[in-house]
Amino acid sequence: MYFWKCWRDSRSLFVILAIIAAVIMPVAALVSVGTKLLEQFGTSAFLSTFGLFGMLSSLALGTLVASEEFADKTVQFLFSKPRSRAYFVWTGWAVGCLELLLIAIVNLSAGWLTLSHYTNPFHSTLFGSTTGHQIVTNLINSLLLFLFVYCLTFALTALLRNGLKGLGASMAITFGLPFFAIAVRWRWKVDMPIPTNQIGTLPLVMSNAVWIAVSLLFVFAAQLVIERSEI
Amino acid sequence: MNQLAIATQNLTKTYASIHAVRGINLTVPRGSIYGFLGRNGAGKTTTIKMLLGLARPNAGSARVLGMEAFRERIPILQRTAFVSEKKTLYPSLTASELVRFSRGFYPTWSDSAVGKYAGLFEIPMEQPFEQLSNGNQTKVWLLLALCQGADLLILDEPTTALDPITVDQLMRVLAAEALDRGFTIFFSSHQLEEVERIAEYVGFIDHGNLLMEAQLEDIKSEFRLITAAGSSLPEQTSMHVLSVEVEQNFYRYLVTRDAELFAADLSRNGATITSIAPLSLREIFLLLVRKEQSCTSGNVGVTAAVSS
Repeated sequence: MYFWKCWRDSRSLFVILAIIAAVIMPVAALVSVGTKLLEQFGTSAFLSTFGLFGMLSSLALGTLVASEEFADKTVQFLFSKPRSRAYFVWTGWAVGCLELLLIAIVNLSAGWLTLSHYTNPFHSTLFGSTTGHQIVTNLINSLLLFLFVYCLTFALTALLRNGLKGLGASMAITFGLPFFAIAVRWRWKVDMPIPTNQIGTLPLVMSNAVWIAVSLLFVFAAQLVIERSEI
Repeated sequence: MNQLAIATQNLTKTYASIHAVRGINLTVPRGSIYGFLGRNGAGKTTTIKMLLGLARPNAGSARVLGMEAFRERIPILQRTAFVSEKKTLYPSLTASELVRFSRGFYPTWSDSAVGKYAGLFEIPMEQPFEQLSNGNQTKVWLLLALCQGADLLILDEPTTALDPITVDQLMRVLAAEALDRGFTIFFSSHQLEEVERIAEYVGFIDHGNLLMEAQLEDIKSEFRLITAAGSSLPEQTSMHVLSVEVEQNFYRYLVTRDAELFAADLSRNGATITSIAPLSLREIFLLLVRKEQSCTSGNVGVTAAVSS
């Protein structure tokens, strides 16, 4: 039942994001017809759009799904239901995660079809040939980043019990971390892992597993705090 | 089987420097209607939150339906219906959708009760919650609580925003349901008249102290206000003297039992008894709360709910 309720709360945003995800690449392609931008940038144009849009979707969904109960002040009603708080946390998280995945699939499909329609996706005049393996690696990296940002936003919003505060804190961390890493490297000559880049000398699969674990850890931390909090 | 629906021992809750609840000992028998009375901010809602496991006590313990509150929160919530003081629900959901949402949580849910109470309370079931009047919003809460098939109803200010006719209707429904289905009703209120109408037991809370807990029948038959004139008469409360007010040479004693004997004692001490009068719940409440006296073990559980 709570799954249905979360879906009902977030479906409007999901539909809007899904529509944007479906049209953003075709529209961009249509606008740039004649400029040969797609031929020049190839998959990198499409992957950048995919990455940026996915990040924004992650922030939006993470905030909305986690903040709904606090915004409506219905958390007392919800937590007086005979279910564990962990159930509510993870159900809300799962709904948003599923929606994010669907948006990413829509965006990916629309982008790929658009690119294939106008140019050869495996070749760009600016960057040369791109292998399928590279594209998949980049896509996985983007998806992991979406998961990281979504989980971080979800956790911070739930912990701060406020959508705007959660969004602000998450954006500050997400966009501030690369700069912080640069500062650390400049000052102490230490390479800080940046989400969701490969960690040091760890194999890529291991590195990705670590980032997934870290992302889920945010939600787990939120669950622990919520389980102990008083309403 | 435990005969108490709710039993607390020295239940205490502190928020920073605020003592919301100070070591209260509640005893609510199964199948009874218990009115939990107090002013705004007296500690009623905090107590209820602790009973439901929504807040953790700093000291003491609470048992609800024989289970330990907070530690056995989920089994308690399965058998307890709750109407919150803040009657907020999902604004965009209609009453029907709220029923659909709530139904899944309770195996004992009754759809026939939904039809019955929706009709009785005249709730517009297809209107979004946010568009309902305050009164109808409260009714939706009550509907959800009544249809749950619970053993215990915990209602925090259930009649807020209801018009007198609906209050009357609700009181009749609660009394009838409690009688028919044998469930326990624990409800907080500061509306003394409505409590007096249906409650069998009452507890007064003020500044986090349980001032008194008694059976309403005892209040009617035993509680007396003794007015005596004299000097150097006793000014201390005791087991059966809930409050003492002194004004010049006039003493007013709120006595919980054996009023005649107590009056005779006073007479022996040189007092002139001017009146021995029965009291309404309102008068007792005002006498106790106005004095803002702190709780003593002597005046809590005056009429021990089940031990007597």
